[in-house]
Amino acid sequence: MALVRTLGLRAATLLGVLLTVLVLLVVTLGASGFSDRILTAVINEEIRGLRTSQATQSRNPDALEAALEVRRAELIEFYGLDRAWWQRMPDTVFRVITLDLGEARTLRSSEGSRKVSDIVLERLPNTALLLTSSLIITAVIGMAVGVKMATRVGSKIDRTVSFGAAISFALPAWWTGILLILLLSFTFNILPSGGMYSTPPPEGGFSRFFDLLKHALLPIITLVLVSVGPYLYSVRTMTLNVAQEDHVLVARAKGLREGLVMRQHILRVAAPPIVTGLILSLVGSLSGSILVETVFNWNGMGRLYFEAVAGTPDEGLIVALTFIFTLMYVVARFVLEVLYLLLDPRVRYA
Amino acid sequence: MNIKFSDALKVIVSSHIGKAGLMLLAFLVGVSIWVLATYPLDFGTKEWSNPTVWADNPKAVPPKWVNLLPGTDRVAHSVLESDTPDDVRTAGWVKAETYLMPVSHDFEDFPTFLSFTMNDVKFQGRPPLITLSLARPDGTTVKLLQHVPSGARDGETAPIIRYEQTPFRLLLSADQTVRAALADFHNEQYGTDYNERDLRGLGDQAAFGVPIPGDEAAFESLRGDYEFVVDITFASTEDSLGSVKAVVGGDVFGGMGTDSQGRDLAVGLLFGFPVALFIGLLASTLTTTIGTSLGVVSGYMGGWVDTAIQRLSDVVANVPLLPILIFMVIVLGSNLFLIILVLVAFSWPGLTILIRSMVLQLRSGQLIEATQALGASKTRIMIRHIFPQTAPFVFAQMIFFTPAAILAEAGLSFLGLGDPSIPTWGQILEQGFRTGAVYVGYWWWVLPPGLLIVLTAMAFVLIALAIEPVLNPRLRTMR
Repeated sequence: MALVRTLGLRAATLLGVLLTVLVLLVVTLGASGFSDRILTAVINEEIRGLRTSQATQSRNPDALEAALEVRRAELIEFYGLDRAWWQRMPDTVFRVITLDLGEARTLRSSEGSRKVSDIVLERLPNTALLLTSSLIITAVIGMAVGVKMATRVGSKIDRTVSFGAAISFALPAWWTGILLILLLSFTFNILPSGGMYSTPPPEGGFSRFFDLLKHALLPIITLVLVSVGPYLYSVRTMTLNVAQEDHVLVARAKGLREGLVMRQHILRVAAPPIVTGLILSLVGSLSGSILVETVFNWNGMGRLYFEAVAGTPDEGLIVALTFIFTLMYVVARFVLEVLYLLLDPRVRYA
Repeated sequence: MNIKFSDALKVIVSSHIGKAGLMLLAFLVGVSIWVLATYPLDFGTKEWSNPTVWADNPKAVPPKWVNLLPGTDRVAHSVLESDTPDDVRTAGWVKAETYLMPVSHDFEDFPTFLSFTMNDVKFQGRPPLITLSLARPDGTTVKLLQHVPSGARDGETAPIIRYEQTPFRLLLSADQTVRAALADFHNEQYGTDYNERDLRGLGDQAAFGVPIPGDEAAFESLRGDYEFVVDITFASTEDSLGSVKAVVGGDVFGGMGTDSQGRDLAVGLLFGFPVALFIGLLASTLTTTIGTSLGVVSGYMGGWVDTAIQRLSDVVANVPLLPILIFMVIVLGSNLFLIILVLVAFSWPGLTILIRSMVLQLRSGQLIEATQALGASKTRIMIRHIFPQTAPFVFAQMIFFTPAAILAEAGLSFLGLGDPSIPTWGQILEQGFRTGAVYVGYWWWVLPPGLLIVLTAMAFVLIALAIEPVLNPRLRTMR
């Protein structure tokens, strides 16, 4: 029962996060007058277009103006500009929550669909590819090296790697990306500097996959470089903390083999925070992907977000995307909770 | 839990990491103080974003010291200025002044541009005649320019001053009259058959070179000592000229090179020092203040206050920061203080949750029990007895959060959302990236700002790492 209650509470909190973010977005958009400004601009644009197209056909300027005014009134009602923002916005919130994300104004999916959900579904796998592969690499390196370091605290290797971890923490992902482009792409010309496929993309499944891999390498290296340091260091610290507990001393005193002590008595206990740290770094990369994808011209969610905010901001798209980002974030956090419960019996039976 | 500040400092200094961090920080603070003392506070709007300030600099060229690399021989940038005439001759009412500005050119390449500037021309009635010529190493002289400032307008009385607010500036290498003068010079001197159109884009080559025979206009660099000669004939001995300046645009500039607008990157990068520290320290101070006070209140008061604060921090802690930050800046405009405010608003919960758990332990301790028994108020207990015990931990968290704030602002600037009135390292990098500097190898534009961001963040991370053993004695390593 405790399990259900704990998970239920977490789920409720995370739902609260989603709602809070949405309300925050909508209130900021409305109260700052941004929404009114954008919608007015959209309507003016449409009326102007209509006027130029009709002016050649219509002989009577007065009738044209009257018709345009009627059209303008229709548009104002359609976009809800005749109501105050707090009357108009709840609809938006409700629509977005039910994942009815609406349509983008200028952005299109590769098939030309303007539905936000189509665009998002097209971009999501690309981001997932980057994030999961870098996560797996980070996890493997972080756990292997972190645990090793914990067994040799204070040694030269430990000090060097600690220093490296500090550098890794201080490295901005996007600058690391630029650095790698400058080095591996511009100077040595080994890897492509951006994009997902060569132009034209090679035919055939295998060579196409190989091409994608070549393009994904630099962004993945970048993500690993910036996330592996902090993670590795936290694995070291957590392992070290457990390694100095009394039960480990007892285990050693019993004459257990060192490998067994490490696996059963240290790592098993340190596992929950180690896994938590991993997902936290995934969550960090989620935000970082906005920057990394921009640097590498990678057609993922992050770059989509950047495209939505650059130039004339697309209000509906921004709200939808921020919501999707929060949703991804929240889902990752929930997975983390479940994992934590699975790994830590103390929480389960509390 | 009570740790003296001096003890903490001792632990920090005792580790290599801590020493390196403190030294880095001292360097950053030193440079920042120097910059604050010497730069105007409105540097961003007055100078950095003002193209006229940078007009006489070469565009997108590497720093001077690249010439130290073997096989590199790029044209040096020379700014020649003079405000006292080298020769003054008077004959009756008429006065003639000559300014000489020597420059040596010993490069295989040509200057990237040539420009001439003068200011404060003062005359009584008739304007002076100004002639600019270039004496070349082979003994020849090219007359580049003749100029007469506009005379007195209706109602204007002597003395008349021209080019006072906006100096007279001419980009010689792109001027049609100058090109025509150069074509005439070469035709006469070397028997070529150029006209003004042939020399389009070759102005600086024609001035600093000798023609290579052929159908197309082409030049070979003429090495040696050149001299710009400015002759001014005034109509009155009371007339005067402020100063003259000739610039021979180089292929290298200053200690850090320039960006594509000719801005001296060293100047911009220096201004970034105090800005980065300001962002980091302000954001981290505010965050820790909010985080700690809420944590102490939440842990000590308990009850519904506790529940409310914990729920709130749970929710806020789960909001993805960067998307919200981007959103807020788009909607509310780029303002450094807004950016810091949003950063703070979404960063406090982590600390609140941690401090609360510490306070829960402290609350049941004998010290607090005793103070309660003595009748101390809740506020007093929280401020005087609970907070001091969490202080070292809070301090460590503050140091740890500083680089996060600096990196967040830099990331935001990189997306082009930085405060345009205050240049930061992130913005310099963004402009470099946006104009494609990465893809053409302008390393001097994209490496230093990033490196400085990393160094600044590193200073704080290293100190934070060195502080860790203070708070967690288990991590103290054998030395």
